[in-house]
Amino acid sequence: MTYMENVFVCIVGPLLLTTLYMGRKYYSTFAFCVTGMGVCLLSAYINTFFAKLYGADLISATTQISPVIEEVMKLLPIIFYLLVFEPKPEKITRAVLIVAAAFATFENICYLIENGASQISFILIRGFGTGAMHIVCGAIASYGLVYVWKHSWLKIAGTFGLLGAAINFHAIYNLLIAHGGISQYIAYSLPIFSLLVGTIIYRLYKPKYL
Amino acid sequence: MIELINNILQFLVALLATIGAGVLFYKSRKQIYLLLTWFYGAYALGALYWTLHFILFQYTPQIFYVSEIAWIASSMFLLTIEHTLPSSEERKFRHWGVWLVPVFCVPQLILYLYIGDILFNLLISGVTMAIAWYSVRGLMYARQQQGKAKDMQFFHLAVIVYIVLLYLLWTSSCFWISDTYTNPYFWIDFMLTASLFIILPAAKKAVST
Repeated sequence: MTYMENVFVCIVGPLLLTTLYMGRKYYSTFAFCVTGMGVCLLSAYINTFFAKLYGADLISATTQISPVIEEVMKLLPIIFYLLVFEPKPEKITRAVLIVAAAFATFENICYLIENGASQISFILIRGFGTGAMHIVCGAIASYGLVYVWKHSWLKIAGTFGLLGAAINFHAIYNLLIAHGGISQYIAYSLPIFSLLVGTIIYRLYKPKYL
Repeated sequence: MIELINNILQFLVALLATIGAGVLFYKSRKQIYLLLTWFYGAYALGALYWTLHFILFQYTPQIFYVSEIAWIASSMFLLTIEHTLPSSEERKFRHWGVWLVPVFCVPQLILYLYIGDILFNLLISGVTMAIAWYSVRGLMYARQQQGKAKDMQFFHLAVIVYIVLLYLLWTSSCFWISDTYTNPYFWIDFMLTASLFIILPAAKKAVST
């Protein structure tokens, strides 16, 4: 059993203390970082709750419940940030990506505590596979939200659509991993491949559409 | 086997339509094509997860909403099209025909709530009923227009056909017969796939006015 809340306190403690000495300019960065880790912790609790409620086995919980809960939980603080602070587009992107990266980092830490860190190949896969997957989902949400929140007619459908895209990408990744065999190698390469394709498309079309 | 063919076909058609709508948006920069790209894209993504789950585990997802969220999102994009497309004159237009929508949809919704999941059915039926309401109003309005403005009726008609087939599909899934081609569910789903694709050329004809 991993005492995630203890790990959370241990990691967040130094971050909070550092924040005090970094100045107001960096408050938001640290706040998003702590929020990302916090929502990861809450997601674990809610995942467990729903898995028990539906009597789900490990595969069903991984492929059906956790993608929905985790992506919703990652998006909630961002929606709050958008509604309350009405930030500029570049701040939205930064906020979503920091939350996603902090979420992935905290998840990886808990995973390593539970499964050990002796195999470097496995850790690389975990870092650049699952970690990158959270960044891809964050990128889908962040760049999408920047566009969607510029148009009042698109806000609700667009936000829900981006959430759907992130959830399905996450669920497909988990599905391929859960199946094992060659599927999991496809899954591991999927986030990096998507990041590459996304970066190319962004560089080609950014001046026109964003 | 027929379920697998059905799912793969639906994913491929949705993917093809996503690319088609994306290309049309790239060429014309019209809002409707952007929304259609997202409508088809969300649908395709949901279908991809559903199909992959079926291929890898030999059963469809039963516990939680993954594909369903994508399909609700897809419907919300279609609703956004139907909500933003009409002129101010069309918004004020009233016709008794729109009341056929609740007459057709509500009894079936009650059946879904009785048999299936309450939250998902309320959400998806609510969104699709709103789409149907707008499209019936749009159809009645377009039929009274002259010249090219009348072409808008093709888009609304395509959307109505899609919604009707969607409801028939859900209702047929409540009375599951078998996993073979004798089950009307699969034939309705094939028709739904065709109607899904037809929305794109119908929209093209409508906005060329």
